[in-house]
Amino acid sequence: MSRAWFQQQERGSPLALRIILWVALNLGRRASRALLYPITAYFLLFAPRSRHHSRRYLRRVLGREPGLGDLARHLHCFAAVTLDRVFFLAGRDDRLDVRVHHREVFLRHVESGRGAILLGAHLGSFEALRALAVGKHDFPVRVLMYPNHNEGITRLLESLNPDVAAAVIPLGRTETLIQARECLDRGELVATLGDRVAESDKMVACRFLGDTALFPQGPLLLAAVLKVPVILCFGLYRGGNRYDIVFEPFAETIEAPRGQRDEALAQWVQRYADRLESRVREAPYNWFNFYDFWDEGARRGETDQ
Amino acid sequence: MASQTAFEQEVARLIVDSLNLEDIAPEDIEPEDALFREGLGLDSIDALELALAISRAYGVQIRSDDENNRQIFASLRALSAHIEANRAAS
Repeated sequence: MSRAWFQQQERGSPLALRIILWVALNLGRRASRALLYPITAYFLLFAPRSRHHSRRYLRRVLGREPGLGDLARHLHCFAAVTLDRVFFLAGRDDRLDVRVHHREVFLRHVESGRGAILLGAHLGSFEALRALAVGKHDFPVRVLMYPNHNEGITRLLESLNPDVAAAVIPLGRTETLIQARECLDRGELVATLGDRVAESDKMVACRFLGDTALFPQGPLLLAAVLKVPVILCFGLYRGGNRYDIVFEPFAETIEAPRGQRDEALAQWVQRYADRLESRVREAPYNWFNFYDFWDEGARRGETDQ
Repeated sequence: MASQTAFEQEVARLIVDSLNLEDIAPEDIEPEDALFREGLGLDSIDALELALAISRAYGVQIRSDDENNRQIFASLRALSAHIEANRAAS
């Protein structure tokens, strides 16, 4: 099942994480980036599951058999972006070259007072947006996310920036979306990720990178029920110290009346999947869903390994 | 089966209509049964839409930070009692 990420254990012991965090905060980005090579090698050697899913994904997106160099690049990219979360959250991103594209799309919705949903994906760094918008510029952005996933690393990182942690609306409670509505009513933006299906989500089967994958209906359903606009946002890592944060207008209103809701939403979710595919093709090594995204295992009768 | 009071019947109809529950008739909702998860199986988006419908119909706001939410949403009976106690005098 592509929900497998939900049960997936976070790799890396708390001690290793603490060491990396210490090096990052005390010796700086350059020194800590030297650690990325052994970390990448470790994953390449001892995380067969990540390697396996990386290979399957890269085969699809590159349209050829990925070599060891491609796998290493993919894992290195993930490690680099994870490490940079430390600098973003600690407010020490001055050495990072972050360029914001179509900032006006974002600002227009901040200023409209109507609220909006900011929809991203596990592509590149959502932290770049989160930390800059909430931690640095104090924009009214709330983040709708599962509180316990990757508990160790998230807790460790959020301890760096309590403001960012406080902006989280935890998913999984009955009143979660009532809270999201209260934020939107105040004109705040609610950011969430639209590419992973959790246990209780309604799902939509979409065409994505040449095959069928399941996407959650939830974020766009919320936009439809509350009649708020949706903008897309991706924080793409370009290597070195360079990030591009891109905003895209997506929907002013989503019409999905009860009764024809599933059909209407299926089209919108497919549109999201199409936009995501185009960004993925633009930055293929930024894809951080290291699990069976296309449910290939289930379809072939394998157990997810 | 415990019977619904007149007001519970009205709220039951609001639940079924606003959530477009196709397989359930208002009179089938047991007043004491759970509405969410294991009971009627409602989820967070249903809670939101129900809160919107209750606000429109009765002017009663269900707030996310209300500590009594678990109790308010516990059953048709509890929800109806909450609405009755808080509805705008009209």
